[in-house]
Amino acid sequence: MEKETIMADLRGIFIETLGHESFELNDDTSAKDVDGWDSVTHMMLINEIEEKYDIKFSLVELMGLENISDLIKIILEKKN
Amino acid sequence: MKFIHTLQDSILKHSNLNAFFINEKYYTYGELSQKINIIRGLIQMEIPASEKYVGLITNDDLETYAGIIALWFEGKAYVPINPIYPKTRNKEILEQTNSTFVLDSSSLPYFETGFETLDTRNVQNVLEKLHLEPKSPNKDDSAYVIFTSGSTGIPKGAPISYKNLNGFATAIDNNLDFSITSSDRFLQMFELTFDMSVVSLLAPLLKGACVYTVSKESMKYFQIIKLLSEHQLTVLIMVPSIIHFLRPYFKEINSASVRYSCFAGGKLYGDIGKEWNACIPNAQIINYYGPTETTIYCGGYLFDKNGGNKQENGVVSIGKPFDNTYYLVIDEDENELAQGQTGELCIAGEQLFNGYIQNEERNKQVFFEKEYNGKPMVFYKSGDLCYKDQDGDYLYVGRSDFQVKIRGFRVELGEIEYHVKKVLDKVDIVVIDIPDKTGDIELGLAVCSKKMDLEPVLSYLKEALPAYMIPTQFLFVDQLPHSVNDKIDMKALRSLF
Repeated sequence: MEKETIMADLRGIFIETLGHESFELNDDTSAKDVDGWDSVTHMMLINEIEEKYDIKFSLVELMGLENISDLIKIILEKKN
Repeated sequence: MKFIHTLQDSILKHSNLNAFFINEKYYTYGELSQKINIIRGLIQMEIPASEKYVGLITNDDLETYAGIIALWFEGKAYVPINPIYPKTRNKEILEQTNSTFVLDSSSLPYFETGFETLDTRNVQNVLEKLHLEPKSPNKDDSAYVIFTSGSTGIPKGAPISYKNLNGFATAIDNNLDFSITSSDRFLQMFELTFDMSVVSLLAPLLKGACVYTVSKESMKYFQIIKLLSEHQLTVLIMVPSIIHFLRPYFKEINSASVRYSCFAGGKLYGDIGKEWNACIPNAQIINYYGPTETTIYCGGYLFDKNGGNKQENGVVSIGKPFDNTYYLVIDEDENELAQGQTGELCIAGEQLFNGYIQNEERNKQVFFEKEYNGKPMVFYKSGDLCYKDQDGDYLYVGRSDFQVKIRGFRVELGEIEYHVKKVLDKVDIVVIDIPDKTGDIELGLAVCSKKMDLEPVLSYLKEALPAYMIPTQFLFVDQLPHSVNDKIDMKALRSLF
């Protein structure tokens, strides 16, 4: 699985969950950069990502998430 | 005021112990004391004695916490101003309290004009004496003001007096076996605009314990778990929605250090309470209850981890009132109801506030006088529907009005509707609470119209209201469902989302 594919998937999930497209996703993007990405929608995003890739994040993994690149790294580790 | 002196004594006595852990850094009681004195010097120099209410920008730093105590030691009240909320709302709050001065530790002042900003970060000590004695406040002067949602579109200010707060500080010690020592480590997860922050800092500081604050950035519930596991916290004061978020990860949580896990500000369900107790096996869970108007909380119930807890619709009992508080369940004509009958819970006692700021109309609605144990007493109508069981424990049934709780924040649906109507004045709209999968609540906006672009509404709401009050689900209908007596059928409407 390629990083670019995941980035595109994530963008789709974010648009679907947050209900708008006015954001950019790159490695350094974190919650404060995206309108509507708060503690509630975060859990919804995590659920969607888990379903999409059929994976489960652990609490330790989620606690360590700082930005999109961390998220992609974990997805890659779990899928490859 | 006893608690003010206890607080001063505790700060002096524990000068070598840690008072705060903020943003990965410890601050001792000695450092806190110094900061309090510096800010008191600033207040004495700049703020006239006649100014009773002072704005406080709620940053997550030592200056902000020391600012609260400095204002208390000067006999003044802090009005918390959260910089993440819309500026127009924040200005309205300061205008309602007639505040002209604002303590601000931000690197750039939050208010550019309109208020006198006192920078608490870059300030020199002007007092010659260290360990200044606290002033004695008048018992009816306010210690802080919390603003809650108001259905008329204007937030309601609930001032809490020194007498109220002193009553609370005494009551938490004397009720429900909540016993704190200087070796305790407390979680402080609340915005300072929410009154549960007051107990999360006051209870530990009175005993020389350490306060671990959750920063404003990133996801609160993960930070809580991080603090919990890295620092073996012993006392957690939380809203129940936190454990709903954490529920999928309960099996990864095992914290033997926790002695007390206190809940308030929302419904605690018995099943999740029991599962959570397995993550913190040595902890006593306490389900506290009380509206902001009766000072943080005014009663509670000791949860039994082995089960057998009293419940109504799965919601754990709110137990009994504190020994300084009286409960009464009434019908619509203010008659007292018998045990087992559901009605509105009314509250009297030492922790009851004196009334909303500049809101006589509302004050007339919420207060009434009634004889209780042969004495006339002023009761406050909480809007919560409850009944009392045979042991004198109270059980929570629901709300009597259109107020809902979102992550612990009280929200009047009417306040949101008022603002939506400012943009959509030609169509019928309803704002409704919709329970989501996690047991939390989302806000829905139903619009009587063909599908339209709601962007103008949403961008206006973002200017006017805090983020938690902005609807996240939308529905367009030809007609709103009505019940037989012509009221909007909220249940039917909810099912359409």
